[in-house]
Amino acid sequence: MNVVPQPPAASLAALDPDSQRWLRDLRSDGGTRDEAVARLHALLLRAARFEVGRRRAALPHLRGNDFDDLALQAADDALVSVLARLDDFRGASRFTTWAYKFALLEAAVKLRRLAWQGREIPLEPESWSLVAGGSPAPGRQAAQNELLAIVQEGIATALTPHQRRVLVALTLNGVPIDVLADRLGSTRGALYKTLHDARRKLRGHLAEAGFTTTILEEE
Amino acid sequence: MERPDDLLARLLGPSGPELGCDGCFAELDRYVELEVSGADADAAVPGLRAHLEGCPACREEHESLLALVRSEQSS
Repeated sequence: MNVVPQPPAASLAALDPDSQRWLRDLRSDGGTRDEAVARLHALLLRAARFEVGRRRAALPHLRGNDFDDLALQAADDALVSVLARLDDFRGASRFTTWAYKFALLEAAVKLRRLAWQGREIPLEPESWSLVAGGSPAPGRQAAQNELLAIVQEGIATALTPHQRRVLVALTLNGVPIDVLADRLGSTRGALYKTLHDARRKLRGHLAEAGFTTTILEEE
Repeated sequence: MERPDDLLARLLGPSGPELGCDGCFAELDRYVELEVSGADADAAVPGLRAHLEGCPACREEHESLLALVRSEQSS
């Protein structure tokens, strides 16, 4: 996977006026900083509530207070992250857009965890057959089914047990990556790297079997 | 049963080079602002679009940041 080189922290003069003000106030002392931190928390809470509003339909068993609490926790955690990473802000976007992503991340992760709270995490395929049975499929679908059969063979033979567990949980059983990271004591970045490596092996397995995946890019 | 090409796409992921989750998070704000401004975000941040295709969690967070920034612009 590509690694994007990170430029040095932004100098104030290179930033838009609003971002300059945020950084200056958050790096100051006393009442100016306190007021800026309070404004930042309000901004992060707005973003966290925005995310909760978008996803709450997927959690019908929760009450309004649960969502309010979750948004507040997300804003609190995002505030800590943003203040700890002020020197990472490079001015590649407005400060508010940069800060929003921390609140959205915190809220999204908490919502996914909540959705899977108390649920068993399936680490093996619920149905090992990836290919539908029944009457023979026509044309393109038949080719796809043939690909799926080779992929299924690749999952069983070409992957390490850890790669198989991660691939199956994330792509076949729909376990969110943060939830799986919690369960396996790993991180989202590490699990995605495992998934990426597993996918590359599966593509290699297809190539060795004489198949290409161009059918997927024909859509 | 799910369409075979959807299942294959999920299993095999994006075909080209892609960022990881950490790289995606680092670039997401810049990418979204470029999208909102109508610039070629994919040329400016290679590999991010491919990652969004392969990672549902990052895709959700990208959709939310894009929607939030757009809603601010329109208000």
